[in-house]
Order: sequence, then C-alpha cells, then structure tokens
Amino acid sequence: MSDSFVIDEDGTFIIGKAITTPEDESEGILNSVKDALNYWDKTLEDSGGSVEALVYSGTTMINRLLERKGNSNIGIIVNAGFEDLHRLGRALQCWIWLDYAGRLHAREHEHPKPLVPRKQIKGVRGRINFWGEELIPLYKDEARVAVEELLDMGVESICVCLLCSYMNPAHEKRVKRIAERIMKEKGKKIPIILSCEHNPVRGETPRLNALIIEQYAAEPSRKLLAKIAETFKEKQVPAPLRILTTYGGTISPYHKQLITTLVSGPIGGIIGSKFIAKEYGIKNLVSSDVGGTSFDVGLIMENYVPTKWESSVGKFILNIPMIGLNSIGAGTGMYVRYNKVSGRLEFGPESAGYRIGVCNEASGVETVTMTDCSLILGYLNPDYFLGGNIPLDKKRAYKYIKEQLADPFGVDPERTARGALDLIEINMKNHLNGMIQGLGFRPENYTLISFGGAGPLHVAGYAKELKFQNIMIPEWAAAFSAYGCACADHSYRHEKSVDLLVSPDGSMNEIVSMMLNATWSELKKNIIKEFEKEDRDPSEMEFIPSIRIQYFGMFDDLEVKSSSDNLKAEDVWKLARSYDDLFEQIFRRGTKSPDLGYHITKAVATGIVPVPKPKLPDYKLSGKDPDKGANKGKRKIFWEADWHNASLWEMSLLNPGNLIDGPAVIEAPATTLLVPPGFKVFLDKHRIFHMEV
Amino acid sequence: MNNKPIGWNGKTLMKMLEESEKYIKETKSYYGIDKLKLKEEDPFKYERAFASLRGALVSARETALHVAASPIVKEIGELCFALYTPEGDSIVVSTGILVHVHTMSEAVKFMVKQDYEQDPGINLGDIFLNNDPECGNVHTTDVQTLIPIFWKEELIGWAGGVTHQIDSGGITPGHDLVSAIQRFDDGTYYTCRKIGSNDKIWKDHMINARRSVRTPFYWELDEKCRLAGDLMIRDAVLEFIEREGIEYYKQFIREVIEEGRRIFQERVKERLIPGRYRAAAFFDIPMKEEAWQPRAKIDKISNQPLEIIIKNDGSMFLSFDGASGPGPNPMNCAKGAMEGGQWVLLTQVLIYGDKVNDGAYFAVDTDYPIGTWCNPGDSSLSYQSPWGNLIPAYTGMMKCLSYGLYSRGYREEIVPGYGFTGDAIQGGGIYSAGPLKGQRWSLSTFEISGQGLGASGVKDGLDWGYAMWNPEADLGDVETWELFQGGIPYLSRRVKPNTAGHGKYRGGANYEGVAMIANSKEVDFFGARDGYCFHGSGGMHGGYPHATGYRLYAKKTNLQEIIQNQKEYPLGDPDPSNGEFEKLLEGDIVRKKNCTIYPIILENNDMIYYALSGGPGYGDPLERKVESVKQDLNNGIYTNDLVYNIYGVVAEYNEEMGEWVIDKMGTDVRREEIRAERKDKSLTFDDYWEQERWKITEDMLSEPVKRMYSESLRLSTKWRKEFLEFWRLPEDFQLEVK
Repeated sequence: MSDSFVIDEDGTFIIGKAITTPEDESEGILNSVKDALNYWDKTLEDSGGSVEALVYSGTTMINRLLERKGNSNIGIIVNAGFEDLHRLGRALQCWIWLDYAGRLHAREHEHPKPLVPRKQIKGVRGRINFWGEELIPLYKDEARVAVEELLDMGVESICVCLLCSYMNPAHEKRVKRIAERIMKEKGKKIPIILSCEHNPVRGETPRLNALIIEQYAAEPSRKLLAKIAETFKEKQVPAPLRILTTYGGTISPYHKQLITTLVSGPIGGIIGSKFIAKEYGIKNLVSSDVGGTSFDVGLIMENYVPTKWESSVGKFILNIPMIGLNSIGAGTGMYVRYNKVSGRLEFGPESAGYRIGVCNEASGVETVTMTDCSLILGYLNPDYFLGGNIPLDKKRAYKYIKEQLADPFGVDPERTARGALDLIEINMKNHLNGMIQGLGFRPENYTLISFGGAGPLHVAGYAKELKFQNIMIPEWAAAFSAYGCACADHSYRHEKSVDLLVSPDGSMNEIVSMMLNATWSELKKNIIKEFEKEDRDPSEMEFIPSIRIQYFGMFDDLEVKSSSDNLKAEDVWKLARSYDDLFEQIFRRGTKSPDLGYHITKAVATGIVPVPKPKLPDYKLSGKDPDKGANKGKRKIFWEADWHNASLWEMSLLNPGNLIDGPAVIEAPATTLLVPPGFKVFLDKHRIFHMEV
Repeated sequence: MNNKPIGWNGKTLMKMLEESEKYIKETKSYYGIDKLKLKEEDPFKYERAFASLRGALVSARETALHVAASPIVKEIGELCFALYTPEGDSIVVSTGILVHVHTMSEAVKFMVKQDYEQDPGINLGDIFLNNDPECGNVHTTDVQTLIPIFWKEELIGWAGGVTHQIDSGGITPGHDLVSAIQRFDDGTYYTCRKIGSNDKIWKDHMINARRSVRTPFYWELDEKCRLAGDLMIRDAVLEFIEREGIEYYKQFIREVIEEGRRIFQERVKERLIPGRYRAAAFFDIPMKEEAWQPRAKIDKISNQPLEIIIKNDGSMFLSFDGASGPGPNPMNCAKGAMEGGQWVLLTQVLIYGDKVNDGAYFAVDTDYPIGTWCNPGDSSLSYQSPWGNLIPAYTGMMKCLSYGLYSRGYREEIVPGYGFTGDAIQGGGIYSAGPLKGQRWSLSTFEISGQGLGASGVKDGLDWGYAMWNPEADLGDVETWELFQGGIPYLSRRVKPNTAGHGKYRGGANYEGVAMIANSKEVDFFGARDGYCFHGSGGMHGGYPHATGYRLYAKKTNLQEIIQNQKEYPLGDPDPSNGEFEKLLEGDIVRKKNCTIYPIILENNDMIYYALSGGPGYGDPLERKVESVKQDLNNGIYTNDLVYNIYGVVAEYNEEMGEWVIDKMGTDVRREEIRAERKDKSLTFDDYWEQERWKITEDMLSEPVKRMYSESLRLSTKWRKEFLEFWRLPEDFQLEVK
C-alpha cells in the first residue's frame, strides 16, 4: 500500500491509501494523495499550488537490499591484499542480526551473501598510514590494469575504497584520474565513486558497504524519485520533493548520498517525538513504537537526539549517521509457541506481520500470535479491525491458543494469553528501561510517548512498572511516523573523520582549531553546493558546525555543537568542556577522564534551510464526561487474573478534556487504546491522551 | 572482623556452601529442590522475574561498554556480567565472553572457603578483584570484579564482571604470552583481593595496578567499567526484591538454577543418546628450539583424551582421565578454566535458547585429574595461555556430542570441532617517527575471534566467524586496529586457500595477513598456534581436520627498494611450496613448522605473515558435490592441486569466462582412481595394529610422543591399564624419555 498523510496549517490531517505501483511508484503515490484529498473534497489540480512541503519516505530501497534485487554490476577497487574485504564482512555480519539465543547458538550463524562477486573486486598496491602519510606510493600500473579489467567486464560504476583515505584521499583521487583517462581512451563513461568523497569515515568494512549499497540499492531509486518529483511538479506543486534520511533531516532526490535515506520507517516517529517534546516543553522524552514486527525505542535527552554511526541493515554493517533507535523483535504479529522440553513459552523470532494471526483464517497462519492473544482477552473488536476491513475469528483464536499453548501448560486459555502478553510486555519494559538506565537515567526523569498501530494497546502493559513522569498517546498513533516525516528539517549533514588529539596540556590546540576550521569550511562548501543544486538560497541556511569527540583511548564518541566554525585555540577547551558535561549527562555512571586528553574523531557539518512544519491541532477543552454518542457499550476484558466489564468508546467522538476511567477500550479504525482497571486517560487540547496509573 | 554471620538465617557463608554442596551430592538436585514451586504456582510471574533480571544484566553490560576503554573490550565486546547466589552459583548472565561466567563462580567459592567473611570481611560496598587461575580464572589477563549484594544484613548474592586486558604485566608485552614458564612470569596477580570499600576503589590499589602493567590507562578504565556494571546489577537486584519481596527472590534464585539443571537434562534427553563416547585430541607445545629458559627447552605434546557418559536421566559425566602432565610452559590450565570451557560450549550447543546459568554445570559430573595439564594443582606453574590446551581439548567434547546428535537425527546441529583461536600475533614497539613519536604501541588484535567452524552433517562450516570462548566474532577493521598498533601496518588481509578441513561438507575457511614494520623501534613480536599436530580432535565421519599453522617472517628485506621500483611485494602465502616471500623478497626469510614462537626482535621493513585457522570437515571428500568444489575453486577456498588430490575433481581455469570449468568425465575417472588407491593402501586392522605396536616396542616413537604417553601412563593407573591391555604390553612396561 502507498499511504499518504496530508496535513493542513491547523494540524488537521487526512490519510489516503492506494495500491502500490512498483513499476512506477509515482502513480500509486498520486492515487494515494487523491484518495486523501477526497476527504476534504479537494483535488491536487485545484489545490496543488498551496502545498508548502512535500516529504517522501519509502521502503523500495531497503527492500531492494533485503530481497537482494539490486544492481550488482559494480566494480570495486581496494588496496591489493584486501580484495576479500567485502566477503569477510568483519565476521560480525554473520551474527549481528540474530537475537540472544541465536547469537549463542553458533550453528545458526551465517555470512550474508556478498552483493558484488569477488571477480569484480580488484586490488592495487599502495598504502596510506593511519595518520595520513604515504607509506607505499600507489602502483599506477596496477591501478590502470584494475580499471581496464573492470571496464572490460562492463561494470556500470566503479567504487574505490582505499585504507585510511579519510585521512589522506590522494591515492583514491589518483585512481579516479587514471580511470578517467582510460575511459576517455576507451570512449566510455561510468561513475567513479570515491569513499573519501562519499563517506570519509574510519572503518573500511562499513565504508565499503556504504559505497556498494549506494550503488546496489539506492542509486536505482534515483530515477524513481526524480519521477515522483516531476509528477508533483507537473501538478503545479511548488514545494520541492524531499526524502527523509536516517539522521532525521530531509534531502533532495539529487543528493549524492541517497543511502542516507535507506532506512526511514522508524525515523519519522522520533522526529515527531522531538517535535512534540519541543511543543510541550519536555526535556527528556522516550519514544516507543509498537508495530507488527518490532518495538522501536528512541531517546531524546535534554532536547538532544543522539546519532549513532555503526548499524546493521540487511545484515551489512554501515557507518552512515542514524538517529539512535534501538529495536527488538516484539511486534503484534510475533509467534508464540510452547516448548515442551523447557516447559516455557517462546516468542518469535519470526512474525506473521501483516497476516495478523490465526484469527485471520484467510491468511493461512497456523501459529498463535500476539494479536490472537489480545483478541481473546477482549481488547480487540473482531468487527472493527482496520475499520472492519479484516474480520477476525475470535473462536478460532481461542481454539488455537487452547490447543497450542494453554493445554500443554495446564492453564486456561485466558490466563495463558495474558501470561504471554505479560512476558512480551516485560521484554518491552526491559528494553525501555535498559536504554534509559543504560545512560544513567531513570524512568522518573522521562516522559513516555507511545505510538504505532499497537502502541496504545500495549502501553499500559509495558509502562505500568516504570514510573514515567507522564505517558502520552497521540490520537493519530497509527500515523504518527508519517506525521513525524512532515516535521523534518530540510537539511544536509556531511562529516569527515579527522582524528585530532587534544593533549591535556593544550599544546595541540592551535593545530586542532586550524584543522577543524579548515574541515568545516570544506564541508560547508559541499553543503552550499547541495542547496544551490536545488535552487535554495544558501544565505537562508543555518550552519551548525559540530564535532564527534571522545576521551583519548575510549571508543564512544559523542556529538558536541560548536558555537563557531572559526575557532581560536582557546575555544578548543570550550568544546572539551561541553563534551565533559554531555558525557556526564548521558553516561551518568561513566567516568569523566579529562586527564587522558581528548580525541576528536569527526568534524560534522549540518546546514538547515527553514521549511514550513505542521502545527499541533488545537481545540477547546470541554468537560471531563464524554458525549453519550461516543459510547459503544460494554465488553468484557481479561486483565491480571480476572474478567472486567470495560466501557467501549469511539476514539474520534471523544472530546478534548474528556476523562475515561479504566477498565475501558477506546477504539479507532487503525488503533485500539486499552485502559486497564486502575488506569485512566485524559484527552488534552491537542488530542493527545495522557495515561495515569 | 564480622561477628554476626552474613549468610541466610544466621548461617555463615561457609555453612551455606557446605549445605549446597551436600544437597547436590545427596539429592542430585540444586538445594534438594524437588518441586519448582514458584514456577508451578504462577509460571508467568516466574518467567517475568527471570526476564527482568536478565534484562538488568544485559543493560549493565551495554552501559559498562560505554565507559570501557581497551579496544578489546569496546570494539570486540570482551566483557560479560553475571549474578551469583551467595555461595557463588550463577543465576543469570549477560551476553559477551560467556566462558567466564562459571570461572567467576569459582572465585566466589574460593572466597567463601577461605572464610573471607571473617577476614578480610565481606561488607556492603566492598569490591573484590581476581585474576588468579588457581581460584577460578582462565589467565591473568582476564580480570574479574565482584561485589557482594546485601539485603538488610544478609548477603543475598554477588554481581560479577570480567574483561580481557591487553596486558597484565607479564614477562613480555601481550595478553596470551608464550614465554611465561612459571607463575612469576604471568604478570600481576590478584588472588581474590579486596580493592575497595563503600563502592570506591582504593587509591593504593590503583597506584599499584597502574605500575604493574604496561597499559595502565586501559587497566584503570576497564576496572571502572566492570565496577559500573556490577553496581547497576546490584541496583536492579534490590529493585527486584522491593517489587517481589525477599522471600520470593531467595526461593526464585534457587529454583531457577534447579530449573536450569533440569532443562539441561531434558535437552540432553531430547538431543543425545545415552552411552559412552570417547575422543582423542592433541596439542603441540614445541619449545626445544624456542625457549630461552634452559628447563623450558623441551618439545611437548598434550594428550587430551576425553570420555563422556550420557546417562538415561540426561545427566552427564565428563572425564579427562589419561591426560598428560603440565610443564614449564604457559599452557597449563586450571580446573576453573576447564569448567568454564565446558560450560560455554554446552551453552552454545544444547541450551542456547533456555535458561543459561550454572544449572547446566550441576548436571555434569567431571573428572579433571589432579596433576595433569587440566588440573595441575600447582600454583607455581604458569597459567598465562591455558587456551593452548583448553581449546583443542574441547574439540573432543564437541565430537562426542556430535555423535549423539547424529544418532538422534540432529544432523544440522553437528559440530565436529572448530579452529584454534590463533594465530594470536602479539608484541609491540615504540614509534620512531610521526605524530606519536616516542609512544608505545602494542600489537593485540583480536582478529583471532574469527576462526573456522566445523562442518555440520548438512552443510559447510562457517568461514572466519567463530571462537569457542565467544560466539560473537568480530575481526575489527584494519583502520581501527592501526590506531593502536600503527607501527605494524597491514599489507593484506585476504582469504587463504586450503585452510578448510576437507569433507563432503567442508569446514569453515579462513584468511591470512601480511604486515610490515614501519616508523618504529624496539619491536617485539611473537605468536602462537598449532603447528606440528592437527588441532584437537577435528573431522568426523571421514571428514579431515583443518590445516595446521606455520610461522613465516622476513628480516632485513629489500622492501623499500621493491616499493621504489613499484615491483610486487608479497601479499600472502597462498602456495607455501612456491612462496611469494621467497619469490619476491630478498632478505632473511624464516619459514618453520612450529607456529608458536618466543619473542623475536623486528626492525622497520621487516615483514610478518599470519594465518587464521579453518574448521574440520564432515564426511568423505569424494562425496562432495562437484558443483560445490567448483564454487570452492572460484572462491579461492581450495587450489586446483588439492581439489585434484583430495576431492578427485578435475578442473581447468577458463581465462575468458574468468572461472573454473569442471571436466566431468575426468572427475569420474579421478575419483575411481582415488578409491582404488585407497584400497591399495589399506591394511587389515591386525596388520595396522602390529605395525603401530612395533613402533612402541622398538622405541620408534618420537621424543614428544614418548614424553606425552609416559606422562599419561604415570598419571593414571586406569589409563595405563587400558594402554597396556590394548597394545598387549608387559606389566612393567615403561616409555623411556631422555
């Protein structure tokens, strides 16, 4: 399905849906927007001119990688002796995607199949050392042979990734010059992509992976994205198309690093959360997103959204900047099984996903899922799932739970189903708590926001034991990630490994400040070029210079903003002090170690050009009692060890100001909010529920 | 001094430990528990309790990683945490180097048995440090921090964390030394020592520790990292008790261990067949040429015979009866380390999805005979690199378990062994140029975490991705390692042909590396791996063991001249009989079979070579699919000559297609030929027996073999009896070793 989320200047929004059209995605997207606009009796033709922002987030690229359907006709040049870099995969690619049990069980480990065949990878002698000095000059003849062989094979691009090129790009650039000369001789023209330009960051395995995946999975999307952009232009939409990135900004489809848009699904949620945090003046917010297959958690600390570097996507490690989200496989489609040897319930790791569960007979699912458990406990309305589009068979779910889980346990099906949900919810709780405590905070310092189609259903379960300051559930929980996309800045982020050492006596500060200024200036120029390509006025750009820094000898760098991109030597201490403060704030239990000196790993530059953003809907508060029309009667729900008579409500008919006491179930077509006994929810003026225990 | 006992219900810890051991001995169950009351009453609450404790440990580890320093800990995650009962039995563990979970358990038991409760006292906020293999550690470079957890006035558990250090101040730099021959060479020893109180590490300890090792700041930061994790665990446990009540906690931790024991037995019953399983394994320790110290100048082979008895109830008995003796080398292995090794492998093979705790340990009775390499009982020996014996020895266990798995039909779970975690190249030097001039660098790559795993009964083994002590392998990036060891830059890291053990399903393959010395002075270098003997017990049902290692390096080279002229320099050693080093370099090239070498001195432009280990194969190589062999050729896993000689596959490289083409007819003929050769060479068992017996009676065995068997004959009367009976030797038979 192609979903569209259309929001107006008051924060009112509509959602459209249409069948995805894989050959020409723009068609499905356009249909989806048309479907949405129908609710407002509008068409793109008559109102396209008033569109101020247009953001795309999709899964085509990531699917191309996951399904291994990308373009592998890529040539690669590495240092001679490192031709196996891609398939060695640093070894950790054989287990990094597995769960706890899978990681222990060595027999399950398996390397991902390389994206580029070994014969398309050529080595050239030469070495730059780790501080950027030439140790062995580049063997030009070998470079020539490598390029010629690859061209003869008919590769469509050549990626060059040489060791330590992030410190000294000379060898990579020389290879490019040689390649260009040969191409000229041969009358050929293919892109030569250098790692020092694409992603000049330490770590040759993820750096090469990023180069390869850019060509393999992202580049093939470029035409497609351009087509979408064109389609909207044809409809007189003045706003340029922007694509959501892994670091939370949006970029144009013409940006050279499309790979930064590889994963964007869960990113929207955290941008939305950051927006909510700002609007509500919340310093520490933890976002939790419950979907069909995963539970994603992100933290906003003191208005700071951490970025992480290394992550694994489709079993490959990458070092593209990514918003710090952590996921566990705990979604509503997750299978629940009884293990007769251990006498325990086991969960996942596979999931029925969109097929829902055994309650959806047509799907062919034969193993009980979390949704089946929620159904027999009375939480879900079998006739109102996705607005009634998919009728759920409660009896069938009951029968399967009884046979597969309850009978072997010797416990009744309701208790078993509740027990299963308890165990999954405690894993979610551990995950949340682990992330918060892992940084030295406690839930008491945080507000929780819960969204995703199933967030409202499980939030009471996973949040009840943690004493959050507040628990927020936006009415539009199911569309919250899409809402977040609309909140994203138009920004480019470029970075470069610099490896500058700040000695405790400050003797290096002069050099450090000069090097940083020079690097920022280089990065700034590149960003300005990006905006110019899109006809944006660079003078509107807000430029944020930052660094990644760590104590010397440590490995965990953090990002610190610099007040200026024209530092003096003494300003280096200011950066160091900001890092000390941030380190203490984030790793409460960590040990500040300024006496070791500092290691500035990367210079980071972000350019932001302002774009219109949605507002939160704002309504007048009415009384705490809901309108009678909102009441849908009563249904029994099972909670803890008993049945309770829950009141039922239609979510859209509740008014801001209403207070609902549990036990209650508040239903909407795309989500269900469970208010267990002893809990209550209050709907505020922005149509966000606040849950109290 | 404590007057009031800190154990439960007014007991001393020693009393509690005695009781727990008595219960296990008499009832076979943990604390004599016959019913899992809490689990039966509310299985969901019980599982929730387990999940929340495990969650706390996993997050403690994640947090601690943020404050850790050494590359080994941070980059490779060489860190793990566990929660123990007051008596020292593990309840729940984090991820990480799990081999240490049980070793810390022995450290707690040591403190209890030594009555630390009286002296030096065990109080809230105390911090204990241990790295002594004689009380439950593997080697001095593994450092454990343990803190007691109290509820009111009772000790209710211990939180423990362990990290692997880059250096612990031994006879040479490094973390798995080869030249240590006695305790005093191993580096700094902390034998369960109290190093802090009120949650603070004492200053005098820190001063002493910093001055005892070569990498003081890694030591200090890792110490803080372990303590940070331990404190988080303590908080989580106290929170758990506040929520569930102290009585629930006390009952729960015992039930959970008992449940772990039962689940283990159930898994054994499900996966294995009762009976007696045996395997032979060996490891070479060739020090005659290498050692500096006169009394260490002997070549040894360790005899590592293993017997496992699987009983009908799923319990297990494991014995190394017949093992040879310890020696003046660093490979001696204390009992605690052996138990750790046993535990970590059982976790990976049988109970990976279950409750991982000491329950599995209690389901296994063991015999590590005193006086042998696997339980020397002599604290004056060196225990610096016990892995040398431990790792190959447990390939025997994997093979025994694999026979059981095969018998039950779990062919996909078979693991007929794994590669030795070598070649651990080590050493260090001082920068003589560049921005770090004058600073020390140490060579301590943890690439060894990625070895070849054995084939299963249905597919090839995992290439470059397994270490028996930590299933989460990570080779690290060259660009990261060079930050710490920039004086020995890499010139290659590529797949080495012919490392994988042959078979119908081949073992995992591995890679080789070449590095040069640059911008440095005072460079020491040493390394360790199997060299003369095939590693462990490798290969099953006709599968071959993987290739052994060897040592190759070049000194006084003309590398600079080669570079200036843009001539080829060596990038590996794909064909040792026609070596690139010899072909391309001028200089002193050393190539030898003993892969374990004492430190040598290297200078700029000297070059070193190392290769990691493959894994053993499964099944007859002649049964390997021709298509798979073709793939092996195309992927550089095997060379054409080996494929011809061992797999009987005839292939030719097609330049135009850029790949190997199989001659199908030629292959059929070649395979028949090999079968005929095999028939010609085969002997009847009686003839073979005669031939081998003659070697024994006529004193034809090599010196290291004689030494090995003479030690086994001396150390075990049972083994001696069997040996004499089998070879029909006289009662007074002796093997004379000069």
